[in-house]
Amino acid sequence: MTDILFYTMAALLVMLSFFAVSLPNLLHSATALIGSFIITAVLYIMLQIEILALAQIMLYIGGIVVFMLLIILLTSGLGGVDDKLGKITIGKWISKGAITALLFTGLLYFFTENSSRLLDTGASKTASLTIDQIGIRLLSPENGFIVPFEVVSLLLLAALVGAVVIARKDTEKKEDLS
Amino acid sequence: MTLSHCIALSLILCGIGLFGMLTRRNLLGILLSVEVILNGANLNFAAFAHFKAADPVAGAIFPIFVMAVSACEIAVALAIILSMYRRKKRLDVYRLEELNG
Repeated sequence: MTDILFYTMAALLVMLSFFAVSLPNLLHSATALIGSFIITAVLYIMLQIEILALAQIMLYIGGIVVFMLLIILLTSGLGGVDDKLGKITIGKWISKGAITALLFTGLLYFFTENSSRLLDTGASKTASLTIDQIGIRLLSPENGFIVPFEVVSLLLLAALVGAVVIARKDTEKKEDLS
Repeated sequence: MTLSHCIALSLILCGIGLFGMLTRRNLLGILLSVEVILNGANLNFAAFAHFKAADPVAGAIFPIFVMAVSACEIAVALAIILSMYRRKKRLDVYRLEELNG
């Protein structure tokens, strides 16, 4: 049952991600990306890490993809999305597909050659994570993640200020404050 | 559903995202492909945390940091895209040659 569900979800995830990178219209791509993030959240729930599923839906779908949709609609002129940039021609398909396939087969060869070292089946099944454990560990000073947490907060502040500074319209005449 | 299945899935996702990064000419399309790659990496973290980790809490926390950093990245990148579009009226990466040297 779990295997059938996993295979279905994996097939859907691969299909939607491929649509997200190959559809010529960026709005359709962003919609396919939303679908792939939802299915990734389902996979996180199957892996018994529910907080990641919640964070995925809140951050990615609620934040990042909506932001992307906003910018797509802002930069697509008056309503239309430029389709002629998004066309993927046959030559690009063949050349870039060859590069990707080369990397893919290399990694696959590595994993299958060293599978005994990487994936020994004597895995200890751990107890399922609770959100309480994760939250306490995230904010605990000893053996925890409090310093990266604070650094990420500073990084978010810097990114906010930087985005505002970059995206601000350049006013031609500077006001003299002196 | 084993660890090998999850690793294969995240490998396929990273390959798809790399293909998109190489084929897209629109800057926004490239950013979207980067998100696909990060999605595969997060799936890998979660799979290892569930199947093999001695300390699964760390494996569950790290993707949250990845998500936060990717939110920062997307904010700054979209600000850059917006200002570039305002100057140039186009987002074709083959045409943006100001830093070509």
